[in-house]
Amino acid sequence: MGKFAVLQFYALLKREVLEHRNIFIGAPVVVALLLLVAATWVATQIDQSDLAEGLRFVSVLFDGLSPFDIAPFIMLLAIPFYLTLYVCSVIYLINTLYQDRKEMSVLFWQSMPVSNLQTVLSKIVAIVLVAPIFYVLIIFGMYLVAMVWLTVLGISNDVDLVGIGYLFLAATASLVLIYISAVVTGIWLLPSIGWLLLFSAFAKKTPLLWAGGVFILVGFLEDFIFGTQFLANWVASRTSDPNQYLIFEFQSVFERVFNYDTLFGVVVGSILVAGAVFMRRFTD
Amino acid sequence: MKDLLLRNRYTLLVVTLIVYMGVLVTEGMITGREARGIEFENPYFDFNSADFEGIRERRSDNENENIRVEFDDTGDV
Repeated sequence: MGKFAVLQFYALLKREVLEHRNIFIGAPVVVALLLLVAATWVATQIDQSDLAEGLRFVSVLFDGLSPFDIAPFIMLLAIPFYLTLYVCSVIYLINTLYQDRKEMSVLFWQSMPVSNLQTVLSKIVAIVLVAPIFYVLIIFGMYLVAMVWLTVLGISNDVDLVGIGYLFLAATASLVLIYISAVVTGIWLLPSIGWLLLFSAFAKKTPLLWAGGVFILVGFLEDFIFGTQFLANWVASRTSDPNQYLIFEFQSVFERVFNYDTLFGVVVGSILVAGAVFMRRFTD
Repeated sequence: MKDLLLRNRYTLLVVTLIVYMGVLVTEGMITGREARGIEFENPYFDFNSADFEGIRERRSDNENENIRVEFDDTGDV
C-alpha cells in the first residue's frame, strides 16, 4: 500500500469523523455528563460523614490490589457507553451510504480518485476501530474528573488516598480492555455490519425498514420452503452470549479473534460488504 | 453473466442474499449448527431461550396440574 493510498484512507476516515461528530463524540460526552451529574446528585443525598466513611472503605478495599485483577470489574462502569456505541453504530451504518445517495454527495466522491471499496471499508474501520478510540478517551476524561473529585473529597475529610490511586490505575487498565472488547465486538458482528451497509446502499427509502423486513422475510422463507432454521440459529448463536466477544483478560484476545466462529463470521460479513460495494454503483 | 448480476439493484440484492444464505445453510448443514440460547438456571425454575418447545410443554403440564389441584380442592359438594 503506497503512501498516497494511506493518505487517501486517512482522508476518508477524517471525513467520517467530521460528518458524524454527534455519533463519535457528542453521544459519549452526553452519557459521561449524565453519569457525572447522577453521581453528584447521589453524593449530595448522602451525609458528608457517611461519604467520607465510604471513601475510606473503598480506599482500604483497593489498596495493594493488582490493577489488572480489578480492571474487569471497573469495566461495568462502561456499560452505558457500550450501549450508546451499539445504538449509534446501528444508526450510523444504516444511514451512511443511504445519506450519500440522498444528498447526492456520492457523485462527488465517485468523481474523486477513491474506489467504492475504499469508501465502504473506511466506514467499517471508522465504526469498528476509530469510534471506540473516542469513546475510550471520553471515558478516561470522566474517570479523571471523578478522581479529582474523590481526591478533593479525601483530602478535605483526611482520608488515606493510596487505595484510590490503585482504583485509578485499575480504571486506566480497564480502558484497554474496553477498547479491545469494542473492536472484537465489531469483528464478531461483521455480518450485522455488512447487512446494514448492504441495505443502506440498496434502499431508496427507509433503509432500516428494508433491513429488518428482508431479514424476517428471508428467515420465514427458509423455514417455509426448506423447513430449516439455519438463519435464526446463526443469529441466535452469535447474539445470545456476550461472553463470546467481551474481553475480560488480555490472554483471551487471541483466542476470541482467531476461532472458527469469528473467522466464519468475517467470511459471511465479507459477502454482504462486497454486495454493498457493488450496490454503490447504483446512485439513483 | 456480470451484466445480468449487475443489471439493477434488485438482481444484485437477490444474488447477494442467495450467496449469503447458501454459505450459511451449507455451513449449518455441515456443522449441524443449533441455536445457542440463554440458559438461566436457579432453584425455582429453569429457562433456556433455545428450548421454547420445552417451556410450552412444562407450562401446559403446570396448567394441568393446577386444574387438578383446583378440582381436588372443591371437596364434597
